[in-house]
Amino acid sequence: MAGLPALSRPWGPRRGWTDYGWSALAIVLLTAVAKAVEPWIGYPSIDLFYLLPVILAATFFGLRPGVATAIASGVFYNFFFIPPQHTFHIHDPQDVATVIVLVIVAIVISQLAGRVRAQAEANERRAKENAVIAAFTGTLAALSDETETAQAICSEIARLFDVEAVLLAPRRDGLSLIAATPDRVALDADAHSAASAACGEGDDGAVAVPTESDWRFRPIEGGLGTMAVVGIRGPRSIELLARAGSDLFAAIVERAARAYERLRVEEEIRGVDALRERERLRSTLLSSIGHDLRTPLTALTAAAEALAAREEHSDLVSTIRGEAKRLKRFFDDLIDMTRIESGSLAPRAEPVDLTDAASAAVDDLRLAMEAHHVRVDVPPNLPLVRTDPNLLHHILINLLDNAAKFSPAGSEVRLQGEEMEGGVELCVTDEGPGLPAGREAMVFDTFARLEGSDRTGGTGLGLAIVKGFAEAMGLRVGAANRRGRHGARLSIFFPAKLVVPTSGADG
Amino acid sequence: MSGRARILVIEDEASIRRLICRALDLNGYAAAEAGNAGQALALVEKMLPDVVILDLGLPDRDGSELLPRLKQSGAAVLVLTARDEIAEKVAVLDAGADDYVTKPFDTDELLARVRTCLRRRGAGVGERPRIAAGDLLIDLDRRQVVRDGEEIHLTPNEYELLAELARHAGRVLTHAHLLRAVWGPAHQDDVEYLRVTVRSLRRKLEPDPGQPALIRNEPGVGYRLQP
Repeated sequence: MAGLPALSRPWGPRRGWTDYGWSALAIVLLTAVAKAVEPWIGYPSIDLFYLLPVILAATFFGLRPGVATAIASGVFYNFFFIPPQHTFHIHDPQDVATVIVLVIVAIVISQLAGRVRAQAEANERRAKENAVIAAFTGTLAALSDETETAQAICSEIARLFDVEAVLLAPRRDGLSLIAATPDRVALDADAHSAASAACGEGDDGAVAVPTESDWRFRPIEGGLGTMAVVGIRGPRSIELLARAGSDLFAAIVERAARAYERLRVEEEIRGVDALRERERLRSTLLSSIGHDLRTPLTALTAAAEALAAREEHSDLVSTIRGEAKRLKRFFDDLIDMTRIESGSLAPRAEPVDLTDAASAAVDDLRLAMEAHHVRVDVPPNLPLVRTDPNLLHHILINLLDNAAKFSPAGSEVRLQGEEMEGGVELCVTDEGPGLPAGREAMVFDTFARLEGSDRTGGTGLGLAIVKGFAEAMGLRVGAANRRGRHGARLSIFFPAKLVVPTSGADG
Repeated sequence: MSGRARILVIEDEASIRRLICRALDLNGYAAAEAGNAGQALALVEKMLPDVVILDLGLPDRDGSELLPRLKQSGAAVLVLTARDEIAEKVAVLDAGADDYVTKPFDTDELLARVRTCLRRRGAGVGERPRIAAGDLLIDLDRRQVVRDGEEIHLTPNEYELLAELARHAGRVLTHAHLLRAVWGPAHQDDVEYLRVTVRSLRRKLEPDPGQPALIRNEPGVGYRLQP
């Protein structure tokens, strides 16, 4: 920024007495030359000579010096060349016309030249402004810190427009001063409320926020809304803020908005990176729990089994075995739940035979359900469904395990499959106390437990995992009490789009 | 096979290694142990084990890298995996492992798998033209399946599938393995073919096709024929 000139008052044609001096000099010199050549060409042609100083003056010095030069030229021509010489008498009307033409030429040329000059000046101003804006943009681009950016914005505005400048940005406890030029600018309460108004009002509030304060504010806004407010105080502040007041000021504010937007986006990217890093840590933690905790658990189980082989009837040993099993289920549940909540489940669907799925699940739970009568009724003619076999396996295990936990020993647990309108349903029914009326679906909430039924332990996550897995695969879960009987009926439903059309083909 | 069956336990966790060896000893096997891949390879050459119990997480090498060498020695390989990941199970089975057990496991379960491995090895894969499964007799020479003296008619694909399962009775064969063996490599991802054919096989062979006992499913991994 340092090398750039400040843009001061509008550039205009220099209007000083020197212009008239130069014009006069040109007339005198021309008169001398004309006098010298008059004997050869005669006085009537001399009037053309006087076009020269008129054109020069009109072109370089503008209208008034041009007209003055035209009149002076007429006077000189009359005095020195038109007979009677050395008087101001004009006998020939043609000579009057000569003076008038000179004046008209001066006017026309000065107009044309003025227009060209104004254009050139505008171009020059635009180029300077562009250079200023480019330099400002470059300065901002190099900054990646909000305070530094705000300070750069303030000092640039202050320098360019010769005003005091402040920048405020919304913080948790309202607008606060981020940067100011000069450094020690204090805003009073009026100024603050004016700034808040500018910040809140958005587009239309930009122009003139009614304020008692002599500060004027303009919001810095972009696609992300109002990100900050810039305030200026000084003799030109009102002019600068008027809509058509200063293109340069508007451009500077616009660049400031871009810079702010970029900072926001960068901030968000940093946030996303942090999130990704957290996600990576989480999955590392998950796999290390998976590995590092299973290993000691394996040793524990194996040791308990070795002990059990020696002391068949020891309660202590069977307690160790039982608790180690429970611990394993806790870990598994926690890992599953974390996978669901972190959204890191990636179901891999393939055509699955529900008869297979049902018998595999029942088989895995053989020991845990020894005390119950398990009835499987999943007919082998159900259509195949597209689903993740492993997640489905966990769903069924959790549903069966839940049924076994919450129903008395010796009762029946049924696993049924049925093709129905719009899809295929698998359901597990038990003969336990059932679900609280009106709140059946809450059984799928995390840590939900049925009243007074924590006797069998468990993390309370089993059914929440069922729901999480099911939803990840596009299945619906359902919970109800059995009609006319004691017991709960929990179901998963495969909508038609997951059902594989029966081809009837036999391999 | 003379004397006790030789079993090599490759596991880096000393406590687990010792407990497995103890259980094997108590059950009449000759157990040897290795804590890393280097030791394991040296021991394999020396003792020519019948079964290798292999943990995948070894300190010096990934256990799955040992699989080809171990298979070369003629041992059956039972993989221990700490991760409950279908993809990993499928990968080790496809790499030649005979079976897998997920940690933490029951010692009884592990011993049962060891017995299955030994039985299969003792029988000698491919050398047995007739395999009994449940009340079925599968005659690989005559391409016949007989129950109570009566032949059961199977389509060619049904027969090929059953025969492949029977050749490795008791062992999980992955979907891809079965699809390649029966339908050819081009169809190794067409799980639907397999499901449909398994179904029709069950309808013909199982006493209750709704609760299959003969052709068992390992969710997401494959099928095994219950010997």
